[in-house]
Amino acid sequence: MIIRKLGKVFDPADHTLPDNCREFAQSPQALEFEDFTRVYFCTRSVDPDGKTFRSHVSFADMEKDFSSVRRVAPKTVLPAGDLGTFDEHGVFPINVIRNEGQVWGYTCGWNRRVSVAVDTAVGLVVSDDDGETFRRIGPGPILGPSLHEPFLVGDAFVIRAMGVFHMWYMFGQRWKRENDTSQPDRVYKIGHAVSQDGIGWTKEDGVQILPDRLGSDECQALPSVLHFGERYHMVFCYRDVHGFRTDPGKGYRIGYAQSDDLVTWNRDDAALGFETEPGAWDAEMQCYPHLTLSSGEPYLLYNGNAFGRYGFGAAKLSLPEC
Amino acid sequence: MSNNGTKPPFLWEKLGKVFDPSRVTGRDWLREFAQAPATLIFDDFVRVYFSCRPPADATGQYVSYSAFVDLDRKDLTQVLRVAEHPILPLGELGTFDEFGTYPVSIIRHEDKVRAYYAGWTRCVSVPFNVAIGCAESTDDGATFQKLGSGPVVPYSLDEPFVMSGPKIRRFDGTWYLFYIAGKSWKIVKGRPEPVYRIRMASSRDGITWSKLGKDLINTVVEDDEAQASPDVFWADGQYHMFFCYRYSEDYRSHANGYRIGYAYSDNLQDWTRVDDRVGITVSPTGWDSEMISYPHVFRVDGQVYMAYLGNGVGREGFGLARLASHPEWAAP
Repeated sequence: MIIRKLGKVFDPADHTLPDNCREFAQSPQALEFEDFTRVYFCTRSVDPDGKTFRSHVSFADMEKDFSSVRRVAPKTVLPAGDLGTFDEHGVFPINVIRNEGQVWGYTCGWNRRVSVAVDTAVGLVVSDDDGETFRRIGPGPILGPSLHEPFLVGDAFVIRAMGVFHMWYMFGQRWKRENDTSQPDRVYKIGHAVSQDGIGWTKEDGVQILPDRLGSDECQALPSVLHFGERYHMVFCYRDVHGFRTDPGKGYRIGYAQSDDLVTWNRDDAALGFETEPGAWDAEMQCYPHLTLSSGEPYLLYNGNAFGRYGFGAAKLSLPEC
Repeated sequence: MSNNGTKPPFLWEKLGKVFDPSRVTGRDWLREFAQAPATLIFDDFVRVYFSCRPPADATGQYVSYSAFVDLDRKDLTQVLRVAEHPILPLGELGTFDEFGTYPVSIIRHEDKVRAYYAGWTRCVSVPFNVAIGCAESTDDGATFQKLGSGPVVPYSLDEPFVMSGPKIRRFDGTWYLFYIAGKSWKIVKGRPEPVYRIRMASSRDGITWSKLGKDLINTVVEDDEAQASPDVFWADGQYHMFFCYRYSEDYRSHANGYRIGYAYSDNLQDWTRVDDRVGITVSPTGWDSEMISYPHVFRVDGQVYMAYLGNGVGREGFGLARLASHPEWAAP
């Protein structure tokens, strides 16, 4: 792939966001309009205790080449979940599609646990005002744990192809500690589900669709799939299970796979051709990638250092001529 | 037009408390409680599964295990033996059943025994969440292996949390699971308490479930009435459900605590609640004088029995009552 990097294109510190959110613009995900492209992202408010964060859905309307920001969400896009629900403690990320005259958002809802930090599940929210605000279609998730995917179901990415809805998503495999005094870290992989209506889903239940590069404890998250150049392309991010917050050698990088049939995926991270320069905003970490067409051109949106605390960037993609 | 509303009430003859967990020794996982009885009939004995707890930990928190006691089939008030170990281990770190496996419902399936159980995890904003798991036994119900580390009936769009109290049944080749599903968390005296209702799912294989998505039993004592233990029994050409219900507040008291209710149905989906017919309530004194709950009705040797809990929701064990009316129920 030929990648022309456009640098960091959105910095949350440059804007006033609703819900008292000042930092983080994580997991940029695009929805194209006639003369602009809306980029949804998740940003964070700080809880009253000053220690914990809560993720909120927001967006920025951008020029189609992602060169500048026209406006940001003026008010709450999605209210918080009710007491005890799967998304009570935040939504991160959200994947948006147009469906039946509405905008649908597949959310990853977070709820805090005692023995481990969190659990997540996939929810569905719907917008009747072209994506300015969303409402839940129910208080619970549309995709949650199952026999062989015991927790941490999330990061849904949905397309319609070959007559059905396809979802790629993350599922947890296990929690493990680096040593006896460490907090538990999670291992998760990417799975696949299909649906006739986008609401009721059939999982493969525990089937990991991509091989590991860093061994069986590799963590794989946030798949995004786009068809261009006559095949399907998937980007995702992956990292080591421990030490990923502080050791750049163990942090998130962007992975890549190709498919002709959405069933068999060939992972080849190097074929993406993504490179960074020392000291750059995305030098230490590259995460939460998203593929989208804007004015018919493929782009990669992604976060850099510190999990997107300081914003997201963009890159224009093209296939090498054979 | 059904005339069931005019049918005579049931008459239950109480046989007293038959199992008291405090009398069991040598099992550190079994100190208190024998909750949610569920039976499996053997040639010489009736195995009653129940859920119990070791002492609370330093922070006052309990975990729960499930186990069984074997009652003499010739005299169900006689305990033959108590399980040496819990039938299931607690779940791994971060799984849905890390802090409890309670309650459990048991059914024979081909040459195995299958258990459906509620698994408990601990949450931050509310005390817990619950989902329903499945395990199988190849040694006639002594030990079980989980079919997976996750649940078979998780929370979903309109059943957002607290999927508990499974009761597994098979009628005409279809599997049915009756259970409770949380509707909301209500703050009572500063504590979140779940409000839940009785629901049902069906399945061809007992693994992949379709939820009906409907509250089966209307509320009587208040809108937030809590209902549990939906125990369904086929007899005399009709489905019968015995369940328990209570107020949402001050339910650890005589006035607001659990009572046993009754409903009937011709199709398993539409139920008519007639608590007046249930024929069993708290005793004036004794182990079941404050509350009665978690009914389980079973038939053995031409008699129909109800196992149920008394005061403290089974803290002191479970008892039995024998159906003294409705002789037509004695035949399968």
